[in-house]
Amino acid sequence: MNLTSPTPAADKVDASLRLPVMIFFGCAACWLVVGTFLAAIAAIKLVWPQFLDGPAFLTYGRIAPAAVNALVYGWASSAGLGVALWLLARLGRVPLTYAVLPVAAAIFWNFAVFLGICAIVGGYSRSIFLLEFPGFVSGMLFVAYLFIAVWGIVLFRNRTPGAVFVSSWYLVAALLWFPWLYFTANALLIWHPVSGSAQAPIGAWFSSGILSLWLAPVALAAAFYLIPQILGRRLVSYNLSLLGFWSFALFAAWTGTSRLIGGPIPAWMVSVGVVAAILLFIPVLVISINLLGTMKGSFEALNWSPSLLFTVTGAGAFLLVYVEGALLAFPSVAALFDFTDVLIGQGALFLLGFISMIFFGAIYYIVPRLIGRDWQCDGLIRWHFWLFVSALSVAYVCLTFGGMVQGFALGDPGVRFESSVGFATPFRLVSALCAIALVFASKCFAHLFFRTVLAVLEERKPSSQPVTV
Amino acid sequence: MNRMPLLIFGTFLTFASAWLGLVAYPYLTLGHLEPVVDENTGGVNPPPLSGLAVAGQKVYAANGCVYCHSQDIRPAYLTSDIAREPEADPQVRRTVARDYLRFQPAFVGSMRIGQDLANYGLEKRVASLNDIHRHLYDPRSVVSGSIMPSYRYLYKMQKISGEPSNAAVSGLTGPHAPAAGFEVVPTEDAKVLAAYLLSLKRNYPLPEAPVEVKE
Repeated sequence: MNLTSPTPAADKVDASLRLPVMIFFGCAACWLVVGTFLAAIAAIKLVWPQFLDGPAFLTYGRIAPAAVNALVYGWASSAGLGVALWLLARLGRVPLTYAVLPVAAAIFWNFAVFLGICAIVGGYSRSIFLLEFPGFVSGMLFVAYLFIAVWGIVLFRNRTPGAVFVSSWYLVAALLWFPWLYFTANALLIWHPVSGSAQAPIGAWFSSGILSLWLAPVALAAAFYLIPQILGRRLVSYNLSLLGFWSFALFAAWTGTSRLIGGPIPAWMVSVGVVAAILLFIPVLVISINLLGTMKGSFEALNWSPSLLFTVTGAGAFLLVYVEGALLAFPSVAALFDFTDVLIGQGALFLLGFISMIFFGAIYYIVPRLIGRDWQCDGLIRWHFWLFVSALSVAYVCLTFGGMVQGFALGDPGVRFESSVGFATPFRLVSALCAIALVFASKCFAHLFFRTVLAVLEERKPSSQPVTV
Repeated sequence: MNRMPLLIFGTFLTFASAWLGLVAYPYLTLGHLEPVVDENTGGVNPPPLSGLAVAGQKVYAANGCVYCHSQDIRPAYLTSDIAREPEADPQVRRTVARDYLRFQPAFVGSMRIGQDLANYGLEKRVASLNDIHRHLYDPRSVVSGSIMPSYRYLYKMQKISGEPSNAAVSGLTGPHAPAAGFEVVPTEDAKVLAAYLLSLKRNYPLPEAPVEVKE
């Protein structure tokens, strides 16, 4: 199967996207290594508090948010913006014009993330989840994002007439939702903070929104493109796609407050969040049937396409993480497991399992088409996959079980608080080791990426060999 | 679904519904809560924070305390948060939106890697500022097996010249205790952080969250 750019027009599309998308992917790869590295330091500190103890910038309360922000804004958002631009151009069969502005925005975005991470580590964090960056940094991010989103919407508007692919719905929606989310949350919590009493629901709305209404739609768009494209077949059902998209858009927007069960907000807000998080199971099931159903009978294709392997694994993680989200939304369950490592495990599965695996699949698919050269080393791709997946799975299982034990200990008034820490420690130890393994897996990916790019730069002349990923 | 206006309008509507419910509504209602007058004492609840405590929030944010410590007491029918504090008098109550009125930002938190701090200022083992400083300076010398980071970087170790400083932290033990002739003095950051921590007391009555006074 020859999956290279089939027409000269597609070549032109890819040529116009090469620089901005490769900048996004290159920066994303670096942030992934930085983020997993910081996460590993934080994980070690939880079991061995004397580790790197002393200087202010290495304290857990700065390293942990720096890691999460590097992964969300540095890795996942950069990769997502690159994937979104490429998909919109490819699906609309329209080249990117005035590429210099998206290029500048890509550099500006990553520079802002760098400033933000330095600010967190340097003690200027705002300590509101995923809004830790100082106000001027989030302003920079917002402006950079607007430029890219406008270019994305323009690509969609100028598309070649014809059917609109499912992926485009998710991308257009995500490009519209993020600025609204990010502007509202920054305006009300960072730039001009509202009274403390109103901050909990707004913060919960934002942190769930940035995951479910920005990163998730882009990852789903990539999966909806890659799986049928690599297999050369259609999606199972158009109507299912339609149902999945609209119900996901509605329920995902309302889930935020399900994390505040028993918290300082009106009861109806909690109830609506709980209902939305449980109902979200329906679109998630519909989307999964559509994605994984398309795979039916073709699972041997996972052997020859690493892209497909990563994407399908990510789609599986998508199903798992939202099913867990629905279970954790039941008040009796949440009462036990809120505030425990269960939530860290769920967050890791979301960000590193669902989002990252699909973006890995997309990058493995897109880069050869952009630079006209196949990946340098198959072995590294396999290392990347197996090390990443096994480390993440073990960490997830440990954090979930450890968190459950911790939750039962916290829920029993007869058990001292210190014991809940002691019970969680062995599980945290194993997940810290997994976090170290994840750094190496991420390094495999970054190494492979830059080795392939450097090889092309050295040749200066793109080869015309067909690529098969 | 090939029409762009439908797509844009639909995504706008779904998003706007949640935005109105989860952002605009709390902004308009919770965002304008006022303190209430306490009929028994004549003061207002929640009581105003001291200037030091207000400054301490910045240090709390800068060092990411909220990633391990929640400040959120959930109701008794749902969790054991209240049952965990059997000795408190008046009885610990659930926290409500008005409790966060004076705080900026409101550190509700989502993790209990460390203990909940909603009522830290009421705890028996926190009898004085010095106790807080000892804990922050070297947590494991106070709670064995604690995984809390040491905040030694908020303190200055200095040679005693003449009279020992009044501000010096007393009773330090463990590997980082000052050698003879030295003393540990809190920096401004440590002082305001301790003042903030000591201010965390949510035992005043509110109309929506009364407290039970024990007989």
